[in-house]
Amino acid sequence: MNMLEVKQLTKDFGGLRAIDSLDLTIGKQEILGLIGPNGAGKSTAFNCIAGVYAPTMGDVYFEGSRINGQKPWVLCKKGIARTFQIVKPFATKTVLYNVMVGSFANTNKRSEAKEKAMQILEFLQFADKKDIRAGNLTIGDRKRLEIARALATEPKLLLLDEVMAGLRPSEVDELVDMVRRLRQSGITIFVIEHIMRAIMALSDRIVVIHFGRKIAEGSPEKVASDENVIKAYLGGEYVVS
Amino acid sequence: MTPKKINNCALVLIVLIAFGVPLVVRSATYLHILILLYMYAYLTTSWNLVGGFAGVLPLGHAAFVGIGAYTSTILSLQYGVSPWLGMIIGGLLAAIVGVIIGKPTFKMRGAYFALATIAFGEGIRVLIENIDYLGPLNFNGPRGLQIPPLDTGLSRFMFEAKEPYYYIILVMLVAVLALTYFISRSKLGFYLNAGGEEPEAAMALGVNVARAKLIAMAMSCFLTALAGTFWAQLTLYIHPKSIISLDLSFEIAFIALIGGRGSIAGPVLGALLLRPVSDFSRIYFGDTVPGLHLIIFGVVLIVVMIYQPRGLQEPLTRAYNRLIHRFFGPQGSGRAA
Amino acid sequence: MIFVLEDTINGILMGSIYGLTALGLTIIFGVLKVINFAHGSMLMVGMYVAYWAVALTGLHPYMALFVVVPVMFFFGYYVQDLIIKPIFKAEKEVREPITVIIVTTGIWYILDNLTLLLFGPDYRILQDNPLRGKMLEAGQMLISVPKLWGFCAAVVTAASVYVFFQKTRMGRAIRATSLDREAASLMGINQYKVYNIAFGIGTASAGIAAITLVPFFNVYPTVGVLFDIKGFIIVVLGGLGSIWGAIVGGIIIGLIESVAPQFMTATWTEAIVYGLFLLVLFVKPSGLFGVKYDW
Ligand SMILES: Nc1ncnc2c1ncn2[C@@H]1O[C@H](COP(=O)(O)OP(=O)(O)O)[C@@H](O)[C@H]1O
Ligand SMILES: [Mg+2]
Repeated sequence: MNMLEVKQLTKDFGGLRAIDSLDLTIGKQEILGLIGPNGAGKSTAFNCIAGVYAPTMGDVYFEGSRINGQKPWVLCKKGIARTFQIVKPFATKTVLYNVMVGSFANTNKRSEAKEKAMQILEFLQFADKKDIRAGNLTIGDRKRLEIARALATEPKLLLLDEVMAGLRPSEVDELVDMVRRLRQSGITIFVIEHIMRAIMALSDRIVVIHFGRKIAEGSPEKVASDENVIKAYLGGEYVVS
Repeated sequence: MTPKKINNCALVLIVLIAFGVPLVVRSATYLHILILLYMYAYLTTSWNLVGGFAGVLPLGHAAFVGIGAYTSTILSLQYGVSPWLGMIIGGLLAAIVGVIIGKPTFKMRGAYFALATIAFGEGIRVLIENIDYLGPLNFNGPRGLQIPPLDTGLSRFMFEAKEPYYYIILVMLVAVLALTYFISRSKLGFYLNAGGEEPEAAMALGVNVARAKLIAMAMSCFLTALAGTFWAQLTLYIHPKSIISLDLSFEIAFIALIGGRGSIAGPVLGALLLRPVSDFSRIYFGDTVPGLHLIIFGVVLIVVMIYQPRGLQEPLTRAYNRLIHRFFGPQGSGRAA
Repeated sequence: MIFVLEDTINGILMGSIYGLTALGLTIIFGVLKVINFAHGSMLMVGMYVAYWAVALTGLHPYMALFVVVPVMFFFGYYVQDLIIKPIFKAEKEVREPITVIIVTTGIWYILDNLTLLLFGPDYRILQDNPLRGKMLEAGQMLISVPKLWGFCAAVVTAASVYVFFQKTRMGRAIRATSLDREAASLMGINQYKVYNIAFGIGTASAGIAAITLVPFFNVYPTVGVLFDIKGFIIVVLGGLGSIWGAIVGGIIIGLIESVAPQFMTATWTEAIVYGLFLLVLFVKPSGLFGVKYDW
């Protein structure tokens, strides 16, 4: 059984079709990359999967059951976690507090939530910053906090929306390494990324969308040499670093 | 001593002093002022569950004070129900009403909730002013209800002296503070704070934001209504214009913001600071400058919000920690309770 | 029958003035996403300025326009610039500027009580102004002349504000800021300057409302509260942020107040207004003309 199946997914905003008949599947413990120019509809696809928007048409299946229109907090408890492209920390609270909000998803006990949160922070080598107010973090650390909170909910499927944008190259390498370790620990990963070097190294398969439609799919090498993909990127929007 | 121990000692000391006050202060006037101070601290702490933790702005809490006061008073005057029981019934009624108000408005931008609560508060007042009888229940319209001081005693919630009222409201205050402390450390507290600050992120982390807010609203309204009964039994006279007034709703919010919204000590600090201003300016300037305390409130509010947007509890906590540091050395410094 | 018609007309006229008093509320909300609870008090200030301008000079009440509108514009401009802006900045980490909302109530309390201190609780009315009690006879009906002018002022003001926001450069910049603060600041628009101007315009519109009221309405320190609460109801009824919604909402309230007393004791009409308000909030919180989803 696939972890996630998206069938003919369509999402309209008023007259704008942000996603158009998108099909994709992710197997268990796979890392699937999603790329496309700005405004292609990538974040919207995540929002449809994570329950922020109900799809206009089409279906989303998670572990074999249909989840269209279910609320984000319900889906979170079922095992879908996500980060936000525009980070949304609980700015007046500490890092530890932020992560504990996530770890309360699976427990009612404060002590257990705290323990779980500390484990995650240590895994992400973030524990030394646990008492800093989230509003005072650097952009790199804010992104890391997004991931930490999401992981604290103990997801089966993790949606990462441009978590590497704006990071230094060394930080990017660290994150690539960390995502690989996450997969090893059994988590399935669906990742949107603009940094080609990272997404090529990371993904098992890549799906490319443009104006909401899928224009290519396959291994990183295959996608990188695809004519349609190259044409879509002629605007030079990609950071090839 | 560890910082935790020092804080606990300080806390116990404060509570003991508070309980000892009536042994020293014999003047009924001063006791009354203290009773009102505690009552406002209690009301603001109850308000803080929604206004502070859940990050929305209720501006009609006087309505719930009114619901509590009218429920217990009507039940006791017309049916002989003990005000203690009436207090609980009024609280439950207020909780239900609070949920009805919150359910449609928590989904909207905060301004809608603020407006809905104001209109609800004013609406209830106008309604009561217009009702003499509702079925068998006598509201007595704009004239209000008088509680004849017939049988005093604990079971009737009525006393000749001020001391029993003092102890009752003090126990209520300590209880509601303890409750707030436990909630703030519980899952509900985390969920309220998260949902109030960044609802979308909270939802993605498994928080049913609207539900958490509704739970907080129900608790807050319940607790607020209890103070309504207390007030009715204290003054033995309730009257829609004074008990369900916009001024009361706003004063609660002012105290909370100046003291520190969303903190545990904030409402108490706010009440300690503002109630004396209110009482003394009314005593000394009530005739010459009737609105003086309101001008002071407004100015203090603006100044505090510009320089300490999270209220006075923040600098005061810092000062307290520095003090502890001075007297007990570095191992003594830590966060205040 | 003729009385119902007369009441209806007078209700529409008075209602449009209510709408005019609430116009600034909706403008300010539309841009800052903040309910200005001090709006009624600003209206009260406008009424005092108009009252004194006329009482001291003996001019025609409507000539006060030339004093009141600029005074009120700058009053609003600087209240936002000096008091509200710093709080916005202090709280910019937080998504909903709750502190700002409550600070505007602080301003309300200061203005009302300062006025009480300065002018006392007396009710003041412009004694012998040419508009006072003036009626227009239309058949058997009597229509209040100052209210008729109020109606005209409401329509003209709303139309001007509408045109300003839709057609002028400045108006468009303000709307851009209201839609997306960050994008607007990237386009080189100074967010806080825009807020100042929006606040000024909102307050100036309260000044126009004040002028239409002064010839027939008592001026006293807490007169604003009356219009404040009504204003909240009106803007939610019409849709928060909608300019024409405010006028229509005002007319609905005016109609209820003038027609309902035919059928019940007058004190109940107030309860009906609150009931209607809560009903709208529950059934269609976006109001009659508001944007559907406001997050
Ligand atoms: N809530 C929304 N309302 C209206 N349009 C939206 C909304 N969210 C996204 N869009 C539009 O949908 C398109 C896809 O956006 P998005 O999914 O954010 O793109 P990407 O993440 O690929 O850069 C864009 O044209 C964007 O303007
Ligand atoms: Mg995106």
